[in-house]
Amino acid sequence: MLRYVGERLLQAMIAIFGVLTIVFIVMHLSGDPTLLLVPQGASAEMIADLRRELGFDRPLWVQYVGYLNDLIHLDFGESVVQRVPAIDIVASRLPYTIQLAAGALTVAIGVGIPAGILMATRRGGWLDRVLTAVVVTGQSVPTFLSAILLIFVFAVTLGWLPASGIGGLSNLVMPSIALGALSMSTFARMTRISVADELSKDYVRAARARGLPMPKIIVRHVLRNASIPVISIAALEIGNLLAGAVIIETVFAWPGIGQLAIQSIQARDFLIVQVIVLLISFVYVITAVLADFIYAIVDPRIRLAR
Amino acid sequence: MHEPIRPLLDVSDLTVDIDGARVVDGVSFTVAPGEVMALVGESGCGKSLTAFAMLGLLPSVARRTEGRILLGDRDLATFSERQLRKARGKDISIIFQEPSASLDPLASVGSQIADAYRIHTGASRADAFEKARQMLVDVGIPDPDRRLDQFPFELSGGMCQRIMIAIALICGPRVLVADEPTTALDVTIQAQILDLMKKLVADHGTSIVLITHDMGVVADIADHVAVMYAGRIAEIAPVQDLFDHPAHPYTALLLASVPRLDVAPKADLATIEGSVPTPQEFGPGCHFASRCPLVTDKCRVEQPPLFAQGYGHRSACWHIDRIAEITGMLP
Ligand SMILES: Nc1ncnc2c1ncn2[C@@H]1O[C@H](COP(=O)(O)OP(=O)(O)O)[C@@H](O)[C@H]1O
Ligand SMILES: [Mg+2]
Repeated sequence: MLRYVGERLLQAMIAIFGVLTIVFIVMHLSGDPTLLLVPQGASAEMIADLRRELGFDRPLWVQYVGYLNDLIHLDFGESVVQRVPAIDIVASRLPYTIQLAAGALTVAIGVGIPAGILMATRRGGWLDRVLTAVVVTGQSVPTFLSAILLIFVFAVTLGWLPASGIGGLSNLVMPSIALGALSMSTFARMTRISVADELSKDYVRAARARGLPMPKIIVRHVLRNASIPVISIAALEIGNLLAGAVIIETVFAWPGIGQLAIQSIQARDFLIVQVIVLLISFVYVITAVLADFIYAIVDPRIRLAR
Repeated sequence: MHEPIRPLLDVSDLTVDIDGARVVDGVSFTVAPGEVMALVGESGCGKSLTAFAMLGLLPSVARRTEGRILLGDRDLATFSERQLRKARGKDISIIFQEPSASLDPLASVGSQIADAYRIHTGASRADAFEKARQMLVDVGIPDPDRRLDQFPFELSGGMCQRIMIAIALICGPRVLVADEPTTALDVTIQAQILDLMKKLVADHGTSIVLITHDMGVVADIADHVAVMYAGRIAEIAPVQDLFDHPAHPYTALLLASVPRLDVAPKADLATIEGSVPTPQEFGPGCHFASRCPLVTDKCRVEQPPLFAQGYGHRSACWHIDRIAEITGMLP
């Protein structure tokens, strides 16, 4: 078990190092990142000054070492536009994205997993057919389109919910649904496949053979076994939700890091973009590690393996 | 020697359809208390479906269309799912071919044994675990306290089958159906499991319906044997009678393909020329007609009933009087 945890943490560190390196490479792909950072129409003198200030005139490997060194010391640089630490700007926006992601995840898991279970246990029934239709819709309508449709129906036509912006819980409803819909479909599909697969296993028949009622077998045995592939999906989906937030936050004028990313790209404030990219990548890595730990809790074959 | 007047289990006319194909066709047999009835036949002849149908555990594609399953004086065939649930594990139990797959990999062995007891008795957790511990001793598992806390992946196949037997017997059912309980196991472990089953019959008087495709196993443990072919019973007889005087061409060929019953316990039944028809290919007559050396036109069009051949010995063949020809044909 200890070795398992150690291995996962080492893998995570390697992954994070990989992410840092890729971000560095992308930033320098164009040759001179200074050009990415200056406002359009800047004079050659201004560009040269900034280049010197940011150290882009040094050899590439010196820059790379400096970059890693800065990051290790949690120094993410300053916003060239606002002249405050990039990390502070991102941190001020982060709570909104966390709210949104939590809302979306609640929709995705709260609807997706029960729907998947129902579809698997009522296979072929009318409920299965209705839910399948919902799932297929959820996964085939693009996020921005479902966002606009939601706004049109519930804000513009019915006037039940605010069309955009932050405020109360009612502001969170539509963005959460729009952002969570795709994930919800993924959860529903995976849960359905996974539960149906478990239901066909020998141990289910054996449990019936000793007189256990089906609902008990499902709750005690099937769901636990079926959760393993769903946990992997959940880990991936959390990262996907953050990436999807870019569109949703823009559509709903939601002041999270997704909106910040778009604004920073427009303002050519690339150090902020870099922080956001790193942040989302870290979330992917961390949730993957968490998923591995949850496997170990659920599955004795992992927990007890030497 | 003497057949009891009242059988404990009386299966008659059991019929199972899958997609319109009659995969189990009018299977009938009886089992007396404390007796082992073997159901033998090649793979795919309907043994497992017969077993599953008896407990109402058929896969969803399969339907039991006819039949009575009298256990004592109650007909399981008329039971609702709720009634069946109460009977399963308590009055009649079943163990399967793949013992390792029959246990939930994520649940401890002890909890799975204890659950089987609690569901029928409402016993407390502690009592159920104590009972589970006793059962492990009964089925010959050393160090039961440690085993209770283990998970299926930590146990061998033979050990898992002992656990399954413990689960099956914890509520003291009168009948145990064992669907090829040793097929997935090593030869030495097979012998141990069979010995355990013999001991259970001797100690508790449990009746066993033992499904196998191994004539050696039949010779070792069975009192009576029903030979199945392509969904039907070809011949049914007390075991010694069947070995001494096979009255169906299929049985005769089968026995001839097992070199020496007393010393060669492992022989597959698939050594007869030709192949078993699939349920879609079943004709109106005898299903064995396509492979039978004694076949006549009548065999192809008319299904032979089970003719009495002696005490408890019946055979579904139009040409029982010519069986000797088969023995003569053999080298
Ligand atoms: N779940 C199923 N779906 C479709 N056909 C099945 C299923 N189970 C069994 N059958 C068919 O029913 C017949 C009898 O199967 P089975 O009882 O498992 O045979 P046995 O146990 O004697 O090997 C075979 O032809 C098999 O292909
Ligand atoms: Mg079988």
